[in-house]
Amino acid sequence: MTIPWRCGLFALSLIVLAPAVWHVIVALPAFGNPTEQYGAAVNLLLPGARHVTNMVAAVNFDVRGFDTLGEECMLVCAVTGTVVLLRGTRGENMSEGAGRLPGRAIVGRSDATVLVCRAAATLTLLFGVYMALHGMLTPGGGFQGGAIAGSSLMLLYLGEGYEAWRRIVRGRMLGALEGGGAFLFVAAAAVPLLLGHSSLENILPYGAPKDLFSGGLTVIVNFAVGLSVAGSFGLLLLEFMEETRSAASDSMPGEED
Amino acid sequence: MHLLPWLTAAWLFAVGVYGIITSRHYIHLIGCLTVCQSATYLLLLSIGYSWNAGPPIFYDHPPGTAAVDPVMQALVLTDIVVGAAVTALLLVIALQVHKRRGTLDPQALRPLRPDQ
Repeated sequence: MTIPWRCGLFALSLIVLAPAVWHVIVALPAFGNPTEQYGAAVNLLLPGARHVTNMVAAVNFDVRGFDTLGEECMLVCAVTGTVVLLRGTRGENMSEGAGRLPGRAIVGRSDATVLVCRAAATLTLLFGVYMALHGMLTPGGGFQGGAIAGSSLMLLYLGEGYEAWRRIVRGRMLGALEGGGAFLFVAAAAVPLLLGHSSLENILPYGAPKDLFSGGLTVIVNFAVGLSVAGSFGLLLLEFMEETRSAASDSMPGEED
Repeated sequence: MHLLPWLTAAWLFAVGVYGIITSRHYIHLIGCLTVCQSATYLLLLSIGYSWNAGPPIFYDHPPGTAAVDPVMQALVLTDIVVGAAVTALLLVIALQVHKRRGTLDPQALRPLRPDQ
């Protein structure tokens, strides 16, 4: 389809959709004066009802926990699809060596890069764990903490090179983290069902407000999401790296970087 | 009336859609799709925003203080993480297309035939 055709199709769909879009636009609330009652009710009731202080995490993992379960499944499906498509051509076999173009000189990385990356990777990983653990108290949570912890793996690769990185970060471990996190989430949804409650009903003791482990079941769900997101991001990184290696499958073994 | 947030969201979305329509490369198209997606983040956060209100976190100020809508923030939060994973999936599909057909131009691509 050429670009004039695409523009024509877009103009046509715009004409069809315009009345509906206009209907939504005029119904939008004025900026800064939300008319939605759900959020206000959450802000009013949940600190007392669940003993958590971060309302965003409380919405994600408690009152709308079932929606988050759907999001979690989407995440797992997207990552599984990515991994299956990437492995489609090369199968399960992975090599620990790095891919390289024959004839290209190997330039070692400087000590400064190694030092900065080691320090930054450690701090980033710690920050991610902190972010995930304090999810029910202060800004943060499993999604953000997991993403930060996953990105620390990238810094590790930058500083250590491919082979050392692969020795530290095991693909099976990342897969287990991702699947284990999703399983823990599903278990947190299923166990209350088996005990005769609603799915994801908060059946654990809530604990004291402002305590690290307050919030009952939300703490477990938050932890599960953190594990799953960290594993997913690490797994995506690993599989894309493997892809660059398999492009130059005739690389010479035993050479660093 | 404060129209700036709505206009910015509409502008971002329009820019993304324009990029998608006129795209000549699938990687570029996926980038444009993420621009459209960021328009939805802005729209959701603007819907939840409230004047003179703090964050919906009651750690250092007591519950009952005016706070913005936490539901919208929760939506944006999951959207970003899942969006990143879905973008990775789209990029991999583009990678596979490039391996099979040697091009990522939507106009040069033709439907797959059994003999290819």
